[in-house]
Amino acid sequence: MAKVLIAETSYLVRKGLVSLLEHTDGVTELKAAGHPETIMLTLKEYSPDILLLNSAITMPVTNEKLTSILHENARIIYILNTPLPAESPSSQISVFDTKNKLSEKLSFHISQYATQDNDKGETEELTPRERLILKHVALGRTNKEIASELFISTHTVISHRKNITRKLDIKTVSGLTVYAILNGIIKMEDI
Amino acid sequence: MHIHPNMKMSDLVQSDFELLAVLQRLKIPFGFKDKTIQTVCKEQGIDLHFFLNLVKWFHERDFFPGETLMNHPVKWLVKYLRSTHSCYVDYYIPRIENEIVQMESFDHSAGHNMQLMLKFFREYITEFSSHIQLEEEKIFPYILRLEENLAKEAPDQDFWEKIQGYTIKDFLDEHSDIEEKLVDLRNILLKYLAPPSDNCIFTNVLVEIFRLGNDLNDHTILEENVLIPQVLKLEEEFKKKFPG
Ligand SMILES: [Fe+2]
Ligand SMILES: [Fe+2]
Repeated sequence: MAKVLIAETSYLVRKGLVSLLEHTDGVTELKAAGHPETIMLTLKEYSPDILLLNSAITMPVTNEKLTSILHENARIIYILNTPLPAESPSSQISVFDTKNKLSEKLSFHISQYATQDNDKGETEELTPRERLILKHVALGRTNKEIASELFISTHTVISHRKNITRKLDIKTVSGLTVYAILNGIIKMEDI
Repeated sequence: MHIHPNMKMSDLVQSDFELLAVLQRLKIPFGFKDKTIQTVCKEQGIDLHFFLNLVKWFHERDFFPGETLMNHPVKWLVKYLRSTHSCYVDYYIPRIENEIVQMESFDHSAGHNMQLMLKFFREYITEFSSHIQLEEEKIFPYILRLEENLAKEAPDQDFWEKIQGYTIKDFLDEHSDIEEKLVDLRNILLKYLAPPSDNCIFTNVLVEIFRLGNDLNDHTILEENVLIPQVLKLEEEFKKKFPG
């Protein structure tokens, strides 16, 4: 279950990778960009698991900065415009690679994300703790207020809220309030 | 499809009807007969390249619009964005609101779920309106005056004073996300609500919310990645030309 971003200037190579990845199991979302500015923008907003980056692109930031923009478990695979030796690392692909070689390398990386996310993906139900946090959020309490009332740190509240949003696919407080009412966590009169 | 100046306007629309939105927002009237893109643009006083760059981006979505769209006068883009705003305010939003009202009248669920959705959507309308009002009343006029004054021998005194303490960056930092709530609404309807008795309306509301969401997304891209970078450039030029 990986989100992939293809950062490649060449139209042909970009299209080629898109069509290859569209038919690869485990790719949940796919985006492609060619211009360094678009790449930076997409990186921040989209937060891919795998970034396929052509090594010839001059990015506006250093490699270190680039890695820091990506999330912890994300990885960069470099696309090289030159042929690769037989024993090249799996973090490199070449425009000269055969379809089999490419599929093999890309599937290897994508499979790394399969197990991790599957566990998370299946437990869509909120835990009792999360329901409790949601109740407070829906009632309009701030993170700080919730933290002091439940004797936990604000940091813990924030991490619960992230999980709630991820599980429910609802980001805004008013959206969460609607969900809470629909599911009987709070009553219409409470707000 | 390769879009080129000598293509018939009607062929362009037939091959991608989503482009109708662009024509509408540029206020290009229908009844093209066999006229080419070039001819229609000329008749309507619309710059051919501006038109081509817009439709190409909407159609292909394969390049960063800033690269090409930034090289036109900023007032054209402002005009485009303004007419997009009125499309939202006059058409999309009231239409979706009406449909939710209609759904509410069918809804006999104990929890009055549709009433809740309507309340949510009306809250959204308030937020949406103030977002647009800020752009229409403050941001766009500032941008237009900036471009105007840059062309002058000497800038207007009041504008010169204003720009000393202001930059469009301030706006970008506060530019709120108007899609978020709409996406929430969509997800709630899609995932957590049993449809009320009339399924056709329910489906249609969803389709329209998806449409509006995509449209807003494009709108924000034009604002944040074309308009604002272009204004930043103009501000720089202004400061160079009129160092004070
Ligand atoms: Fe706008
Ligand atoms: Fe906006």
